Amino acid sequence: MNRQIRGLGLAISILFIALFVQLNYLQVIHTKKLAANPLNHATIVNSYTLPRGDIISADGVTLATSVPTNDQLKYLRKYPTGSLFEGVTGYYSYIYGSDGAEAYYNNVLTGKSSPFKFPTSINGFKKFLTKSNNTQSITLTLLDKLQKIAQSGLAGRDGSVVALDPKTGAVLAMYSNPTFDPNGLASHNPTTVQASYKAITALTGGPLATASYRQIFFPGSSFKIVTASAVYDHKPALASKTMPTLTNLSLPDTTTKLHNFAGESCGGQILALFTVSCDTGFAQIGLDLGATNLSAEARSFGFDQVPPIDLPFPAKSNFPAASSFAANLPTLAYSAIGQENVEASPLEMALVGSAIADGGQIMKPHILQSVTNSQNQVVATYKPAKWLQATSSATAAQVTKLMISVVSSANGTGGVARIPGIQVAAKTGTAQTGTHHTDDWFVAFAPANDPRIVVSVVLPNQGNLVSDQGGTLAAPIAKSIIESYLSTSSSGQSPSTTSGSANPSAPTTGPTSPTVG
Amino acid sequence: MTPLPARRRTELGLIILVVLLTGGLYALAGFGKAGNLPANIGPLLGALFALLIVAHIAMRKLAPLADPVLLPLAGLLNGIGYVFIARLSPHEARLQAIWTTLGIAVFVATLIIVRRARDIERLRYLFAAVGIGLLLLPLVPGIGENINGARLWIHVGALNFQPGEVAKLALAIFFASVLAERADLLSRGTRRIGRFLVLDPRYLAPIVTAWALSLVIFLAENDLGSSFLFFALFIGMLWVATGRTLYLGFGAVLFGGGSLFALKTIGHARTRVQGWLDPWIHAQTSGYQIIQGWFAIANGGLFGLGPGQSGAASIPEASTDMIFVVIAEELGLVGATAVLIGFLLMVGSGLRIAVRCERPFEKLLAAGLSLILGVQTFVIVAGVTRLIPLTGITLPFVSYGGSSLVSNYILLALLLRLSHGAESPTEIGALVASDGQRLVGTL
Repeated sequence: MNRQIRGLGLAISILFIALFVQLNYLQVIHTKKLAANPLNHATIVNSYTLPRGDIISADGVTLATSVPTNDQLKYLRKYPTGSLFEGVTGYYSYIYGSDGAEAYYNNVLTGKSSPFKFPTSINGFKKFLTKSNNTQSITLTLLDKLQKIAQSGLAGRDGSVVALDPKTGAVLAMYSNPTFDPNGLASHNPTTVQASYKAITALTGGPLATASYRQIFFPGSSFKIVTASAVYDHKPALASKTMPTLTNLSLPDTTTKLHNFAGESCGGQILALFTVSCDTGFAQIGLDLGATNLSAEARSFGFDQVPPIDLPFPAKSNFPAASSFAANLPTLAYSAIGQENVEASPLEMALVGSAIADGGQIMKPHILQSVTNSQNQVVATYKPAKWLQATSSATAAQVTKLMISVVSSANGTGGVARIPGIQVAAKTGTAQTGTHHTDDWFVAFAPANDPRIVVSVVLPNQGNLVSDQGGTLAAPIAKSIIESYLSTSSSGQSPSTTSGSANPSAPTTGPTSPTVG
Repeated sequence: MTPLPARRRTELGLIILVVLLTGGLYALAGFGKAGNLPANIGPLLGALFALLIVAHIAMRKLAPLADPVLLPLAGLLNGIGYVFIARLSPHEARLQAIWTTLGIAVFVATLIIVRRARDIERLRYLFAAVGIGLLLLPLVPGIGENINGARLWIHVGALNFQPGEVAKLALAIFFASVLAERADLLSRGTRRIGRFLVLDPRYLAPIVTAWALSLVIFLAENDLGSSFLFFALFIGMLWVATGRTLYLGFGAVLFGGGSLFALKTIGHARTRVQGWLDPWIHAQTSGYQIIQGWFAIANGGLFGLGPGQSGAASIPEASTDMIFVVIAEELGLVGATAVLIGFLLMVGSGLRIAVRCERPFEKLLAAGLSLILGVQTFVIVAGVTRLIPLTGITLPFVSYGGSSLVSNYILLALLLRLSHGAESPTEIGALVASDGQRLVGTL
C-alpha cells in the first residue's frame, strides 16, 4: 500500500506543479498583456481607489481635485472651474480614459513618479505601507485671471487664445472654444458619462478636438512675420527693395492674379508693406526669396515639427516642402502670405511671436510650473529650455520694428491693440478659407522693448468679409490679455518669472523625469 | 524519531511563529487599507494565540506523539484567511472568528471522542448512513436552500450550513473501512473476462452504491466541485487499497461518461464549462468571474500590491471561492506560492502519516483525508486560475465559511489521531494516550 501512497503524493505534487506553472504564467509571463486588456477594469478601479493630486493654476485656483465618494470608485475627480481649463487639464474618466495634463502628468498625480525613499521614521514607514502615500500636486504656469479674459473675450464664438511668456516658454493662458465641462466625463455614473460624451461629440466633434494646440488654421498674413524674417536672414537686400503699388499681382505660369484684401492698392518697402499687410508686396517678396529660403525659414520657426509642449498629441503646423513649389510656382506667392498649404496651430503662431520677442529663440512651451508632494513641499520645478533658434537677434530686432509699426502707425492694421504707456508689437492675419469666410488672427507681444507676454488669437471661419478681420475681431482680445497681465505683473511678482528661476531649496531633478513616461 | 517532548515543543514554537506572522500580515493589511494599525489587533492575536494554545494543550494530553507541523500549518492558513476576509468584509470576519472558535472546539472534541482509530472503523455503516443523510438534507423542503444555483445549504434559524462538507469525511471513513476489509479480495481478480481478471462485483457493491448515490445527490444539488472531489477520493482510495491501475482506467472512463452526462443535462455545468473554454466571449456572463480573477492575479505580479491595497471589489465571491485570487493579487506570486506550499506540506505530512500507519484502515483513512485536502485545494485554485472549469468549492482553512472550517478541523483532528496511533509503539500507546506525560516518563 505504501507504494500507492507515495504514488498519490507524486500525483498531488504534479497537480500542484501545474498550479505553480499557471501562476507563473499569469503573474510573470502574461501579466502585461492582461493589464492592457480593455476589459480589465481592475487597474482602473485600483487607480480610482487612490486620490490624485490636485491641479492648481499659477494664481492659486484649484482646477482639478479628488473628493472621496461612497461608491466603488473611491474618489471622484472634480473640476471646480468647469469648462474654463478643460483645454489644458483635460479630463479623467473611467470610461473614456484621460486627456490633457491629467493624462500627461498621470504618473506625477498618482505619485508613481515620486522617487523611492527608504522610510526612516515610524510615520514615514506608515506612509510607505499605505497606498495614498505619494500623490503629488502640480501647479501650472497658467493664470486663472487670463484664462477668464480669454473666455469672455471670445464670448462664446469659436476660437483660440494662447499666451506665453516668451522668455521661458511658460503658457500663461490657453483657451479655445468650443469646449466642455469635464465634470460630466469624470462622473462615476455611466449614464451621465455617456450622455456627456454624446453632447461633447455633437458640440465639438469629440473631447480630443481641443483647438488651441491640436487644430491648425490658415495663418494668413500673420505668417508674414516668418516671411519678413526670411528677408533679413536670407536676402537683406529685399528689405530695401521698393515694391510697385498694385491692387493685384500677376503670377508666373498662370493667368490668375493675386488680389489685395478688399481691393486695396499698396506697395513700397518692407516696413510699409508689413504695416498695411500688403499681399501683393509680400507675394512678390516670397517669389524673390525663393522656395528654399522660405521653406527653411518656416522650419526654423517650428513649422513641420511637433511643438514639445507637455500635453498629449499637439498638432504639427504645416509649410510645404521647397520641392513642392517647383511644379507650381504661384503657390509660393500664396504661401508667403500664409495661404494655400500653410496651416498653423494657435500655439505655433504664439511660438512664432515669441521667437521675435525673445531675440530669435523659441523656448520649449510648457504648462508645468512645479510639482508639490502631499506635505506641500516643492519636489520639482520646471527648468525652461530652448527649443529652436528661429532666427538671429538682429533679425528679431528688425521684425520687432515692423510689428511695432503695425500697432503704432496710423495706417497699421493692428491699431486696435494700442495700449497707453505700453508699446505693443503685433501682426494681423485675415486668411481667406475659400468659402467666403476668413480665419482672423492677431499675434502680439509687449512691451516691445522687453517682451513679457506674447499672445496669439484666432477666430476661424468668420462670415463678414468686410468687418471681420484679425485687426478688428482678434486684436481686442489680445489687447485685454496683455493689459491685464502687464498691469499686475509689473507691480507684483510675475508668476512666470518665479517659474523661470529654480527654487534653490527644491531639488533640481527638473521636470523631465516626472514628465517623461 | 524526535523524542516526544520535542515534538510538542516544536509545535508550540511554530504556533508562536504563526501568531507573529498573522499579526504582521494583519497590521500590514490595516495600514494598506486604512492607513493605520487595526484597532483590534491586540484582542485578535490574543484570541488566535489562545485558540491555538487550547488545541496545543489538547494535543499534549490527547495525542502527544502526533505530527508537530499539521496544527501550526492549519492555524497559519486559517490566520491568513482571516486577515483577507477581514480586509474584504468586517462582518464576515466576525462570523469567521466565531466559526474558528467552534472549529477548535470541534477539533478538541474529536480528539477526545475518537481515542482509537478502530473505534470509528467499526462504525462504518453508521458513517455511511450519516454521510448520505447529511448529503440528502439540503434536498429536504423547508430547510434546504439554493445559493448561486447550487442546492447544498441548509438553514436552521439564522445559521447556514453546508452538510456536504462533513459528509465527505463520513464517507471517507466508510470507504476506508470497507476497502481495508476487502483490500485483498479487491486486488485479486476473481473473474476472467477475455484476457483480464476482473473483480467480482459483489465485493464492490457497497462502495459503488455509496459512490453512485452520493454522486447523484451531488449532481441533483448542482455541486460540481464536490462531485469531482468525491469521485477522486473514491478512485484514489480504491487504487491505494488495491494497487491496481485498472481502477484508474475504470475511473477515467466513469469520469468521462459522467462529465458528458452532466454537460448534456445540467445547465449549470454547461455554463461553467463555457466560461472556462472561452471566457472572453462570455466576458460579461459566465466568463466574468474567471476574467476578473485573471486580471486580479496578473495585477499582483511578482510581489503583489501589498495586503489591503487591491481593488478586490470587482471580484464576485471574493471571500469564499475567489479568496485565493485576492491573496495572489495582494501578496503576488511569492505569497500565493507560499500559501500553496503550506497546503503541499499539509498533504505531505498527511501522506507520511499514511505510510507510517500499520493497519490498512488507518493507512487508507490517512491517505483519503490527505487526498481530500490536496484535491480540494487543487480544484479551487486550478478553477480560479482557469486550469480547469471553476466550481464553487472552498479553499480549506482559508475561505470564509463555517461548515468548511469546522469539517476541516475535524479532518485535522482525525489525521493527528492517526499520526499519534502510528507513533505509539504498542497497543499501550492508545491506552496511555490520555496520560502522555507519564509515557514520556517511562520512555
